[in-house]
Amino acid sequence: MAPRDDFLPEIYAHTLANGLRLVGLEYSRTPWVNITFMAKRGAEADPAGKGGTADCLAECLTVGTQHRDQLALALAVEGRGAMLQAHGSWDHTTITLEGLAEDFPELMALLAEIVLEPGFPEEEFLLLRERRRAELQHALDDPREVANRTYLPLFFGDSPYGHPVDGSPESLAGLQLEDLRSFFQTQVHPQECSLVIVGMVPQAQALATTQQFWSTWRSPLAPAPAFQDAPQTLAQPGIYLLDRPDLTQSEIRCGHLGPPRSTPDFFALRLVNYILGGGGFSSRLMMRIRAEKGLTYGIRSQFHCRRAPGPFIISTFTPAEHTATMIQEIKNVMTEVKETAGTAAELADAQSYYVGSFPLGLETPGGLAQQIKNIELYNLGLDYLSLYRPRILAVDQSAAQAAAQKYLYPEELVILVVGPAARCRLELEKIGRVTLLPAG
Amino acid sequence: MTDRLDPKNWRPAIAVHEYRFDNGLKLLVLPNGSLPIASFQVHYGVGSRNERQGITGISHLFEHMMFRGSKELGPEEFARIIQAKGGEVNAFTTQDSTSYFENIPADQLELVVRLEADRLKNLDLTPESFASEREVVRSERKLRSVDSPFGLPLELLFATAYTQHSYQWPVIGWDSDLVAMTHADCLDYYRTYYNPANMVVVVAGAVDPEQAKDLVQKYFGDIPSQGPPPPVHTVEPPQRGERRAIFKKVSQVEAFLAGFHVPALANPDIYPVMLLAAALGMGKASRCYQKLVRPGRAIEVDIDLSPPPFTTQDPGLLIVLGVVPPGQPVAALEAAVWEEIAAVQTKGLEEAELARVKKLLRSQTVRVLANNFYRGLLAGLLYLKTGRFDGINDLLANYEQVTLEQVQTAAQKYLTADNRTVVVVQPVSPEENEALGPVS
Repeated sequence: MAPRDDFLPEIYAHTLANGLRLVGLEYSRTPWVNITFMAKRGAEADPAGKGGTADCLAECLTVGTQHRDQLALALAVEGRGAMLQAHGSWDHTTITLEGLAEDFPELMALLAEIVLEPGFPEEEFLLLRERRRAELQHALDDPREVANRTYLPLFFGDSPYGHPVDGSPESLAGLQLEDLRSFFQTQVHPQECSLVIVGMVPQAQALATTQQFWSTWRSPLAPAPAFQDAPQTLAQPGIYLLDRPDLTQSEIRCGHLGPPRSTPDFFALRLVNYILGGGGFSSRLMMRIRAEKGLTYGIRSQFHCRRAPGPFIISTFTPAEHTATMIQEIKNVMTEVKETAGTAAELADAQSYYVGSFPLGLETPGGLAQQIKNIELYNLGLDYLSLYRPRILAVDQSAAQAAAQKYLYPEELVILVVGPAARCRLELEKIGRVTLLPAG
Repeated sequence: MTDRLDPKNWRPAIAVHEYRFDNGLKLLVLPNGSLPIASFQVHYGVGSRNERQGITGISHLFEHMMFRGSKELGPEEFARIIQAKGGEVNAFTTQDSTSYFENIPADQLELVVRLEADRLKNLDLTPESFASEREVVRSERKLRSVDSPFGLPLELLFATAYTQHSYQWPVIGWDSDLVAMTHADCLDYYRTYYNPANMVVVVAGAVDPEQAKDLVQKYFGDIPSQGPPPPVHTVEPPQRGERRAIFKKVSQVEAFLAGFHVPALANPDIYPVMLLAAALGMGKASRCYQKLVRPGRAIEVDIDLSPPPFTTQDPGLLIVLGVVPPGQPVAALEAAVWEEIAAVQTKGLEEAELARVKKLLRSQTVRVLANNFYRGLLAGLLYLKTGRFDGINDLLANYEQVTLEQVQTAAQKYLTADNRTVVVVQPVSPEENEALGPVS
């Protein structure tokens, strides 16, 4: 039986003469509006050695325009009870302004001023750069951050996904205001940007206001090509150990390369990953490693599907003395799932989870805006939401098995351990070659 | 403009249907039919507040045990069955309450009512699963407290600020108590606190109130009640002078945590304190951001007081976290924060400033009302902690009514030096860290 779809929101889309797309939907449950400006270039376009450029640019846009300094801007936003957030991410950079729908015209005018009339104030740039450098230094106090930040350069080396999206203390040290201006000029182009509006705002008003504030935007350059290649070099499989004698647990990241978002196997892979480690207590990793063995509080796996091939990563932690046991168990479970893709019952459960939980993601303006951003970013089509559940249900056991075979490589994992070497190194050396990473 | 898209037509009043059953059980239903989804919640009136030395952390550990199976269901099968119907399942424990929830497709309501009643009546508490789950919780403790940047200093703050009341220990419990706790302790706890007279059931979403009542009657109606559990009598006396403590750890930064005793959720005095906290620390226009974070004197100044319904049942703490950039001393930052507080004590807030933070809190309240889950939490937790659920419709007015004088009075009354406890985080080398003894 086809799932009911009378609750599906109707997404509208318009393209302005300058190429900017307006995509949105009318939302009537609360008087709220979420307006997101999205440029389809992000941290992967950071210049070499200048990781964090896109993310710093996003924040820099929020600390002054040609007409308002940082305080006047903050007062204009917060005086309306609104929230302004700006981030550089993989494949995209966003500036989001959300607030009460009664303020929509003013919020729209503000967002356009922030993006199209940036002030690039030198003083604010220097302050935010130094604050961010200090924050990144402080991130070393959080072992999860250390593991995440160490893993990307370890795994991807110099390729565009090979740095944290907000950079490192070293990469920010060399960053200049000119780098942000240059990124804006070369990477942010109306033909490669979308405006997403979800809120208690009629479509006609959204379109008229968009035309009023955004239609005159022009860029002198052609849009820069998007990064979508497979990385040239990757780390050798094996165990890499970063010694942190002050920790009681080991943070563990295990990964290998996965497919891009455009893979036709996306839905099969989503289901296989649910069975492996993306489905909480319905996944084998959680059942084996937490419920049966009590080795950790949490473990999950994820294919990070991006425009270019992204990583597949399993993340977990365990008291240091269990580190080697944990890694062995992860490999065992991965091998099982690669061979069988789970049982028919597991596949059916995964499908009914995604089909049943689908409307939960459509409840809030933020959740809906996230869906639309994703559709825009990866050209998934305006009918994506209506096709989502049929596509999940169309995956059969053989397709799931083929995806598991094709995309899981338990013997090729690049494994990072951040933990006290004195309490885990000997055991780790019994299961594989261990490379000690330099501290800092 | 269509009526449903005009913010002026939005009415914030939430209808709550209340039912009481013969065994003492209370049910609140918040109908909202705009999407075919619902949130089913069971809130027990027990948290770390009800514990004693020796069994600290038992409320949270018991929350884990509720997923370990019943006479009919195997370990974690509860979560697997509901996920396989598209539901999201989780639970959380606080100082005052333990809450279980399932966000589901609305047509799965009977399933989750039946399964929640089943685990309340028929929980299978085996010594084996208790032993395994204890290790999971100890791993969680290491993650959240021991290896996290400010987890142990925060525990020290509460242990120093409270000399008599049970808020002095952390929800996750002391590690030595987790180790010593027995299976018999768990059984005793289960019999005392998990009964119809000590809980409230909430259904929020696309449900008919009468139908929800019939389902709850069908599955929960026959559970006998032992009557309410013993109340907590202990009252924390007024603090008579500042208390200070030092916590040494490996850290990139110096920092301080401070706690001021503030009123409980049911005391209307809490609303001026909320607005005061927002004026000091919420957003980039706030006093602490403008004076301390923006100019680089701090990486972070966080003024934290949980909004309703998460404000504590007994008088809790307003917590200040101040973090300085690496290499800078924290004492100057601490003094600067006290200066900002002193300025409000002597001169109060500006009128425009109060209007701004009122609108911020109003818009944040409107924002969460989009979500059935949050609507349910508001009704259920307000009811559990204050005995009234109609507070859900007073929230916007509670902020709106606060005057400039009330905010100034709150600053003078609660944010005093005599009423504060300060923990200073002092960085040490790994060698000194080792010499100070193990952490757990």
